[in-house]
Amino acid sequence: MSGKIFTYVMLTIAIIFLIGPFIIIFAASFSESEVLSFPPKGFTLQWFKKVISMPMFIRSFETSLWVAILASLLALLLGIPVAYVLARFDFPGKRFVEILTTLPVIIPQMVAGLALLRIFIIMEIFSIRTTLLIGHTAIVLPFAVRIISSSILNFPYSIEEAAISLGASRLRVFINVVLPNITVGIISAFILTFITSFNNVPISLFLTGPGISTLPIVMMTYMEYYYDPSIAALATLLILITLGVVLVMQKLLGISKML
Amino acid sequence: MDQEMERDDNWKIESFGEVARVYGKKYVLLLLPALVFLGVFFLVPLLIVVADSIRSSEGEGIFFNYFAFFKDHVSRTAYLRSIRIGLWVTGLSAIISYPTALAIASMSNRTLKTVFMTLMVLPLMTNPVARTFAWLAVLGRYGLLNNLLLSAKIIEEPIRMLYTEGAVLIGLLQLFMPMMILSITSALENIPEDLILVAKSLGASGFQTFVRVTFPLSVEGLIIGGTLVFTGSITAYVTPAILGGSRVLMLSTLLYQKAAVVLDWDMATTIAVMMFLTTLLINAGLRFIGKVGRK
Repeated sequence: MSGKIFTYVMLTIAIIFLIGPFIIIFAASFSESEVLSFPPKGFTLQWFKKVISMPMFIRSFETSLWVAILASLLALLLGIPVAYVLARFDFPGKRFVEILTTLPVIIPQMVAGLALLRIFIIMEIFSIRTTLLIGHTAIVLPFAVRIISSSILNFPYSIEEAAISLGASRLRVFINVVLPNITVGIISAFILTFITSFNNVPISLFLTGPGISTLPIVMMTYMEYYYDPSIAALATLLILITLGVVLVMQKLLGISKML
Repeated sequence: MDQEMERDDNWKIESFGEVARVYGKKYVLLLLPALVFLGVFFLVPLLIVVADSIRSSEGEGIFFNYFAFFKDHVSRTAYLRSIRIGLWVTGLSAIISYPTALAIASMSNRTLKTVFMTLMVLPLMTNPVARTFAWLAVLGRYGLLNNLLLSAKIIEEPIRMLYTEGAVLIGLLQLFMPMMILSITSALENIPEDLILVAKSLGASGFQTFVRVTFPLSVEGLIIGGTLVFTGSITAYVTPAILGGSRVLMLSTLLYQKAAVVLDWDMATTIAVMMFLTTLLINAGLRFIGKVGRK
């Protein structure tokens, strides 16, 4: 029994350690003090007003949003066929395909970012914007493939077979039978790839330049020069948005499938 | 993460006695767009850059950059520091996560379990800059800890806690511990309840059951969690950049300095390759330990 009490004590410590900083940031973002401090002094909304009106944050928020949406859509477009073939077919070289499509999560992202910078931007093959999109698409693709292929695997093959034996073409089976049954998988893949791209720093680090930067990168740059609570306000906003997304995902597919 | 994939694989083999064979080669064409994309836009640039680092752009002979990497005091220190901090984070997170995971896995109330799992997932989904920023409010000069210590009269003026190895370690621990907790929890939940009951009915005490049944069966979760945490720790950029700065250079922050500030491409690429090789090596090592442990 004492073992059980011990595990609950550790659980409490872990929760305080993991969630405590969120509460601190939340409180600090309302502080009137000009420097980041805790406990906070007074109550003000000025930092929230400041961050949602600063052009550098607005512009980079838009960039992040667009990159995340486009990269997620591209990843779905490229990933759904791969997920289907991997889930349903066996063929020589399958292992190779599996390895190649998980490569972007195995290679440290800074390494990939550096390679893309040197080959595409320095050699002026693509613009920074295009390279940023390529990098983000590559790093979120493995997530899309994994989530969607597991959702295809959960859909019994016999139903597809039934449709085929009734004379439907493979393409028609895919569009009319498979797709409607994996919508939840596709939506959750989109949400996860979106979050992954939106939060990303390591791949964006080398793929931003004058006029084009993502929100996390701009936040880091801002923090180097200013020590006021405006980043706390921005962080609070991001945490609240994330909380909303996590709750939606949990409703959609339960916690175990989220990672 | 890996475990989820493995489980899916097993499931597939069981449920389709035979996976559909390819009828003709044309379905493989569906793979082409993604493979071409990853090949051209990801693999090729990587290979070119890696080959470049081996060759050395100034013609000093092959592997020159790698000798330079180990000869240079700054990069050697950063390398060893990254590995050391990575091991600390992995070890500490295992120690805290295991009992935590036991507590979560043993909860019988489903709602309560979901609430705790959500609390574990939330940090993973949150912007790492936002998460790391919180530590500035805790460890900073006017932060929580300094204020506490000052008002308790333990110290007389604020002490510097930021830009130390300890600060980086704490930040990384918070960043990656959820992965460890989740992978141990999922390993624990995969242990069939019958096994525990059998052990108990054969007269094993709670402690014996844990040591001889539960723990060996959950080692896999520890290994997977360890791999994720270690790899994450030695490749993370945000935390060492914000909490360590240039006082506590790690591989990632050094890489950024070389590439973006000093524009030393050769050294930057060498650091990048070393980072990658180290993650591979440690992952292989941990997997090997896992295999031996199971036998």
